[in-house]
Amino acid sequence: MDGIELEILWSNLVSAASEQARALQRIAFSPVVREAGDLACALLDRKGRMIAQAVTGTPGHINTLAAAGGHFVEKYPPDTLVEGDILITNDPWLSAGHFFDISVVTPVFRNGRVIAFFGSTIHHTDIGGYGVGAGARDVHEEGLWIPRAKLYEAGVPNDLLFDIIRHNVRTPDEVLGDIAAQVSSGRVGAERLQLLCDRHKLDDIDALSEEIIARSEAATRESIRKLKGGTYHGESRFDIPGGQEILLKCALTIDSEAGAVHIDFDGSSGPSPHGVNVVLNYTHAYATFALRSTLDPELPNNYGSLKPITVSAPEGCIVNAKYPSPVAARHVVGMYVPMPILKALYQVAPEQVLAEGAGAVWTFQVQGRNEAGDPFTSAMFNYSGGMGARRTKDGLGATCYPTGVAAVPIEVLEAAMPVQFSRKELLPGSGGEGAMRGGDGQIVAFRLRTKDEWLLNAVPSRLKIGAEGFDGAGAGRAGRFLINGKDAAQANKMVMQPGDEVVLETPGGGGYGLKK
Amino acid sequence: MMSNGGVLGTVTASRFPVRMMESGPAAGALVASYYAERLGLDRLLSFDMGGTTAKACLIEDRKPTVTGLFEVDRMYRFKAGSGMPVIIPAIDMIEIGAGGGSLASVDALGLLKVGPRSAGSEPGPACYGRGGINPAVTDADLVLGLLDADNFLGGDMQLDKPAAEAAIAPLAEKLGRSVPQTARGIFQVVNESMAAAARAHATDRGIDYRGMPVLAFGGAGPVHACHVAELLESDTVIYPPLASVLSAFGTLVTPVRFDLARGTVGGLDWDAAKNTYASMKAEAGEALEAAGCPPDAIRYVFGADMRYAGQQHEVTVDFPADPSENRDVAAIRESFETSYEAQYGLRLSHMPIEVVAWRISAHGPPVERHGMAELADSAGPPKGTRPVHIGDAPEGVAVYDRKALAAGQTLAGPVIIEERETTIFVLPGWTASVAKNGCITATRKG
Repeated sequence: MDGIELEILWSNLVSAASEQARALQRIAFSPVVREAGDLACALLDRKGRMIAQAVTGTPGHINTLAAAGGHFVEKYPPDTLVEGDILITNDPWLSAGHFFDISVVTPVFRNGRVIAFFGSTIHHTDIGGYGVGAGARDVHEEGLWIPRAKLYEAGVPNDLLFDIIRHNVRTPDEVLGDIAAQVSSGRVGAERLQLLCDRHKLDDIDALSEEIIARSEAATRESIRKLKGGTYHGESRFDIPGGQEILLKCALTIDSEAGAVHIDFDGSSGPSPHGVNVVLNYTHAYATFALRSTLDPELPNNYGSLKPITVSAPEGCIVNAKYPSPVAARHVVGMYVPMPILKALYQVAPEQVLAEGAGAVWTFQVQGRNEAGDPFTSAMFNYSGGMGARRTKDGLGATCYPTGVAAVPIEVLEAAMPVQFSRKELLPGSGGEGAMRGGDGQIVAFRLRTKDEWLLNAVPSRLKIGAEGFDGAGAGRAGRFLINGKDAAQANKMVMQPGDEVVLETPGGGGYGLKK
Repeated sequence: MMSNGGVLGTVTASRFPVRMMESGPAAGALVASYYAERLGLDRLLSFDMGGTTAKACLIEDRKPTVTGLFEVDRMYRFKAGSGMPVIIPAIDMIEIGAGGGSLASVDALGLLKVGPRSAGSEPGPACYGRGGINPAVTDADLVLGLLDADNFLGGDMQLDKPAAEAAIAPLAEKLGRSVPQTARGIFQVVNESMAAAARAHATDRGIDYRGMPVLAFGGAGPVHACHVAELLESDTVIYPPLASVLSAFGTLVTPVRFDLARGTVGGLDWDAAKNTYASMKAEAGEALEAAGCPPDAIRYVFGADMRYAGQQHEVTVDFPADPSENRDVAAIRESFETSYEAQYGLRLSHMPIEVVAWRISAHGPPVERHGMAELADSAGPPKGTRPVHIGDAPEGVAVYDRKALAAGQTLAGPVIIEERETTIFVLPGWTASVAKNGCITATRKG
């Protein structure tokens, strides 16, 4: 296959996955999908290997969806599936690391044979159990566990499974609406792929997939070979709600002959009693993202380009959680996974890395009654701190890294639930000093319009330890989380009174280089 | 000319300068709606490809789709979200980095890529002979034989074909293909990326693009439109006269119009709605009168942005009359659900609906002005043939001068029709026919 034909076919596969994502984002109910783009869509080949992804979403979703593909195919080999089957799971260890993220996978049939799958993972508004936050003591308290299962069997909905979902979530209309959106977006992708095969007279995409994977892998190895071989160490410290300090340590080994990288997290903190434990799938997702962002930007993200990068961590440590560890707020630790890796890479590619940043986005969920007394449960919403500075540019203010979710506009939140924001502004001077400044954090203040007690699930982090700068630059300011003016962070759900004011000051990013 | 495609008087324009943003591209979309009206086509995809970018806009019910939000001052031109959002009614169009000057390259994976880097007009494509050494889309078009080196801009600008071939040669070597095969690859890849962008734009809006006729203009549009249409599963391409200056023509044929929308919160309050409509009607009417419209010639269209409670995307719905007169909730629900079903293919009849904004649109009388079409009295013969690389071996394709064509004349593809500022390339399997109004329409059997 030459570079012209391959480009035409491949770009059409990417466009099919992108259209799937756009359709999903357009018809979803969950604001975190619609507004924040907290979703992933991908095309997997018949072996479950990701070959194209939509240009949207977060590393934590897309790279875990890539891993989920293999797990689905293992339980449901393609030749055992029939037209109209649709698969589902939210198993944290097989997909995106917590129950909220449900993956739906639609096989595409051509001449009676599975030629590919369109998969999507989105963050649902609710999954029963504890809710958003780190307060559950084991994974079972965190809600409904959907094993790998058939959501539809030969086109017939699995009524029992639908019924179980409906009875186990607080927002059944939204959750089932969003699952329906995932199903119909899979259909959009499948139609696009069929048309492509019609136009190019293809019976399947097996050869195309092999070519994509082989070229992506070869180009990734080539790009890694440009780095100086050796083992480099990095470590990063931060604190989580409740005050626990976490250490992430990595040894990053570059094999510049094979063009391969191994990242090992030996020496990192042990398991947490709170729901911030990270499954290896998710650690792998952010570790590979951090490494790949320092390689050639032309490289695509797929099975082939991920293959030369391997990730390990001691079983049971905080970045390789074991059953039944609670994992609901796994992003709190997971989004710090890139930090020690960037520190290790700083020693070999200093112009390609960022200083430490605010880390995890701060997430919130509120539950209570509106002024009329009707109960409500909000979807998750989030605010980020500042990014770390780059070698030649300042860090971006109030912009999350490494995840790619946007903040839901406050107007949208105010329209969707009885919340009222009084401030949302940048926090000048919170980014670290340096030749290049760290990005600033932000101040956000809100109250609830209610006459009743209400519950707040808040997951801030970096309230004690600020983001370190590189090359002698200053650290970013740590964040503050205040209720009625007092420091208030804790791992558990908080009971709030009407009129209570919540104020967030998100952390700044670290600077880069001595200030001249 | 406003960003939403209305035209207003200078007094109103100076009160709302923000509404003039992006008025140039909007004019291009308006031409499309003008032609939709004239040709009696409800749906149309306008496809305007120039030197550095291509713009597409969907015309539905003979009107360009309008968005309530667009971005200005993007940090990265083709990256949504990198600019400042502006919340005003604007024509909803997509702009992508694919034009005659877009540069081709082979990436680290050995894939042929085109754009978004552009040679612009200085130095321009290699064939301009102004020092450009990188291969651009226009170079590929020239090597393929779609353009005539001696007849570009009516012969006012000589193109350098050997320079175009020399620029493409290094890519051909990397790809292991001949220079013409690589040129054809560039032509296909840029068309694929334009088609992909148009499909994504349509999917975002819940619009089924398949089968939409394509209106092709801009300097490079008519060269590429037929293939783009095939990729969009369309069987019709319309080439209006004056293709390269069509946007300017758009401002001359657009009736005066002014749109207003007012947000509403909480439940349905008919008295408030009545007041809102009355004040919007007065304001819009005043703006049109200031632009010289006689009051009794102004037509008002009443509408609303509506959604199912809890959703974030609104559907804009037009009502047959002012809904605050009849206050018929079932009727406005029906209007909403009809539109919703058309976009999403379903109704959620158990869900409550809500009105997010009331809208009014005031229209002046239609403008009677037609484009000048230069047509011959009798069907002209081709002015020659030239080799074109459609398949692997070049084949002789008839070349016509657009001015020498007569109404009613039909030409079977492959065929090339040249005019001063652009060239129409009709693919094999398509037939072009010339209409009295000067439009050339290419069709294929589906």
